[in-house]
Amino acid sequence: MIYSNKINSRLRALPWVVALLLSLISTASAQPNERQMQLFANNCLQCHAAPHIDAPQLGNSEDWQDIIDQGEELILKHVVEGIAGMPPLGYCSACDEQDLRQLIYLMTGMPDSSKQPGESL
Amino acid sequence: MKRRQFIKGSLAIGATATFGGMTGCGPTSTEPQTPIPFKPGEPVPWVNWAGNQSCLPKWRHAPASEDELVEVLKSATGNVRAVGSGHSFSAVVPTNDTLISMDLLSGLVRHESDSLQATLLAGTRLNACGPILDSIGQALPNMPDMDYPSLGGALATSVHATGVDFKSMSGYIKGLKLATITGDLIECSQTQNPEIFQAAKTHVGSLGVITEFTLQNQKPFDITEVNRVENLEYVFENMENLCEQNRHFECFLIPYSSECITVSTNIAKPGDTNEGNDDPQAVNTLRSVFEATSWIPFVGEDLYSFALSKALAAEAATIRTGSSYKVFPHSRIVRFREMEYTVPAELGVACGREILETIKKKELPMSFPIEFRYVKADDVWLSMFEGQDGCSISIHQYGDLDYKKVFAEIEPIFWKYGGRPHWGKIHTMKAPELAKLYSRHWQDFHEIRRSLDPQGKFMNAHLREIFGA
Repeated sequence: MIYSNKINSRLRALPWVVALLLSLISTASAQPNERQMQLFANNCLQCHAAPHIDAPQLGNSEDWQDIIDQGEELILKHVVEGIAGMPPLGYCSACDEQDLRQLIYLMTGMPDSSKQPGESL
Repeated sequence: MKRRQFIKGSLAIGATATFGGMTGCGPTSTEPQTPIPFKPGEPVPWVNWAGNQSCLPKWRHAPASEDELVEVLKSATGNVRAVGSGHSFSAVVPTNDTLISMDLLSGLVRHESDSLQATLLAGTRLNACGPILDSIGQALPNMPDMDYPSLGGALATSVHATGVDFKSMSGYIKGLKLATITGDLIECSQTQNPEIFQAAKTHVGSLGVITEFTLQNQKPFDITEVNRVENLEYVFENMENLCEQNRHFECFLIPYSSECITVSTNIAKPGDTNEGNDDPQAVNTLRSVFEATSWIPFVGEDLYSFALSKALAAEAATIRTGSSYKVFPHSRIVRFREMEYTVPAELGVACGREILETIKKKELPMSFPIEFRYVKADDVWLSMFEGQDGCSISIHQYGDLDYKKVFAEIEPIFWKYGGRPHWGKIHTMKAPELAKLYSRHWQDFHEIRRSLDPQGKFMNAHLREIFGA
């Protein structure tokens, strides 16, 4: 028996990830597009949804506060260059600067710096 | 005390109490990993996992469909390279022209329940393969000990695990689809374009961009992995039996130690339970102890060896059990650089002995364990295991230490034993020497390569060196 499948991302393989991401998006300032969501799932979640390796975990605000305090520009620099256990680009060879900024907002819950206060998301 | 607790426990405490302040970078180092500093607003460089390869491509693409990929290839300017997870240590990816990320070509295409075959897109990470295949009643027969690479990258370089009855991952390819520089999509299997198929199963990204692979799988299964400390001489003397008695067997040789860590993995039995924890930071603490002791004139090396022996002697086994795709891989968060050669299986122990003797004799600053694995022969033209069972020996150095000097001391030992370098790891071999190691099909491969890419657009500087193009 042959089955064809249009599943093309980790998102479909891990339904709990979808639920978690949707709940985060509803409360965060991030506005990732479908492409960025897939990049997030393929790359970031390898470590940031794996509690046993000591990486800050998605959805755990305590893990992120010290990082958020560093500011968006320094976080971005660290993401591109890699830091501690995190590899350069966080594994994302496809990501440009705007992708990485969106993934940072999504991961940390920090506000989108390009938006004016009160501006509609 | 569990396997890697020895490093965090008595050994580390004892050593640092005596030589406190002499340790190197700890596990919490915040040093950047990249060779290219980045400023927001400037072009984002590409850098590999290990931080030893980088480039600034003029054009970056991440096609989300085969059609998009074909259009990118047809209009590509300059040198073209594809990238998966960027886990290769060798310079297989860097290009300053066109870089194609396969991230968005990820997931299951189709599967066949009777034959237990599944077709997956090439950008699918190995850590996504497990749950995807499990959901359709399949599993990879074997997996490497880390699962970050993409299928495309892993299969382009004959990535392997361990087990004398198991081939490299490329040995389980039943079909593939290759996108060429002219935009053609070529279906390949034993019956469709069989010569391109044999070449493409390990092609180091030189034939084109593979969009999907059909893999021979098996039904899902549970395994139990047992890690234990054993006497190195006992393991070397009994290597053949240990490999035959276990579905998978490997060991980690520890420089300057008479002990080693063995990893035996078998189908799980009822009642198997987890014991102890995997510690991905263990090698950093091992390094700290090495650096705290080895500098001491006259006695440093002996002190390190003595401390290791005492601490390791108290070790009990660590056991991990569960679904195969959850137990085979381990976390890798400590940055390192790696050189790996595969020597004929029957020469593995002799080669391993000579490496350890050389490290000791030349007092090389190496504390990172050496991985020692066995893989079954295959018929893939450029596989390291083509025509011969192989013993793969992996030498590591920490990411912030100079690896070139220590690798240069050890690499000639591999040459002496007829070793073939892993295509995705560090080595210095060039086309003339490699042609001799792959004498059966070297010319066949390059005829196919030249026919598919006559202008050599997929050849970056590194590929021109190893393929002589």
